[in-house]
Amino acid sequence: MTRLLSRRRLLGVAAGGVALATVRVPAAPAASDDELAYANFGLAASFLAADYYLRAAESGKLGAGARPKLRSNRAGSLAQARALGDLVTGAGDTPAAAEDFDFAWPTNAFATAANARRTGLAVLRPTLGAYQSAAATVAMPTFRVLYASLGASLGQQIGALAGPAGARLEPFPVAMELEAASAELESYLG
Amino acid sequence: MSHRLASLVLALVVTAFAATAASARTTAASPLTIYAAASLTQVFKALDPAPNYSFAGSNALETQIRNGAPADIFASAAPLNTQRLYKAGIVDKPVTFTANRLALIVPKSNPAGIRSIYDLRSKPVKLVVAAPAVPVGGYTLTVLRRMGLSGVLSKVVSRESDVKAVTGKVALGQADAGFVYVTDARPVSDQVTVVRIPAWAQPRVRYEIAVVSKSPNKAAARAWITMLQSARGQTALENAGFLPVPKPST
Repeated sequence: MTRLLSRRRLLGVAAGGVALATVRVPAAPAASDDELAYANFGLAASFLAADYYLRAAESGKLGAGARPKLRSNRAGSLAQARALGDLVTGAGDTPAAAEDFDFAWPTNAFATAANARRTGLAVLRPTLGAYQSAAATVAMPTFRVLYASLGASLGQQIGALAGPAGARLEPFPVAMELEAASAELESYLG
Repeated sequence: MSHRLASLVLALVVTAFAATAASARTTAASPLTIYAAASLTQVFKALDPAPNYSFAGSNALETQIRNGAPADIFASAAPLNTQRLYKAGIVDKPVTFTANRLALIVPKSNPAGIRSIYDLRSKPVKLVVAAPAVPVGGYTLTVLRRMGLSGVLSKVVSRESDVKAVTGKVALGQADAGFVYVTDARPVSDQVTVVRIPAWAQPRVRYEIAVVSKSPNKAAARAWITMLQSARGQTALENAGFLPVPKPST
């Protein structure tokens, strides 16, 4: 009754490469409403992150050298979306697709390197916060591992975007309730 | 005498021809009968007042058409209803023509103090929804399931037969909150406040339309659907708050 989600599908993010063991996701009918809520939110947030990386790469503001990593991160975000979509599908629901969203970015979101980094952090931090809450609150241990893994990936991405001379790294990133994280991303998700 | 007879014959022929022509004109000009989802009421009437409309929940209309109701066109708020009739050979191949979103509405007076959809969980509310078989009722269940809020269904005081009934109850203050399409909230914006549903929880609301296979006005029905899909039709829909059909990402 369990289904394997490969490490590549779960954490396609290139940066860092967490040594994560293969995660087993239980057959989704066992998923509770809360677990599915985090999955649906994470699915949308993953598509949003993928769109962010695409636009950041196209803007060129983070430097030509960053483009391969940004594209790789986009692929990783899409892999995470697929993993979460599988979870939703397994529970008998139809997962959202990227075209279901009309992502909206502030006018100057990618106008400068600083703006592009700030925009990325604004998108990734609430998502990390939600995954932290998910890891703490969902009932099934295997789902907790999944959300912890996703959170670890988001932590890597935030670290990479903040850069060595960038934003202060937080020793204890704040967990966010789903409602608050959703509110933070609402203007981006359209 | 022969001249009078010839005149009489001519008069009869002319009368008969005129009667036939009039009959043909009546048939050609007979208005279309369009069965459409209740949420399309305002926009369809504004777009073309000529057809005979029957607006109701798409599930009820599906049943009526299945039972032989004399519709020329069926426009549904959910692909499920049109696709079932298509598979049964009752309508021609449906096409998707617009999209929509769900919203939570509360009366302007907002007696339950609802500011967010999450407030439904923590506050005592009288919630009104459409029945599960009605498209908007099914979409409501999807939203609540996606947000982990299915528990608020215990606060439902009424399950309505279509979205207009839900809108009416909230607008009249007979309920504290209700789930409707955003396009249904617009005409009563002076009576209700819209509480947004997050994009990540929105169901995929797609409207389909099809010509009824046994329609005697198939050419006119097809032309009407073409008009609906034209720039004129799509502009009218978008002005009413409907959304263009998203194109699949490549």
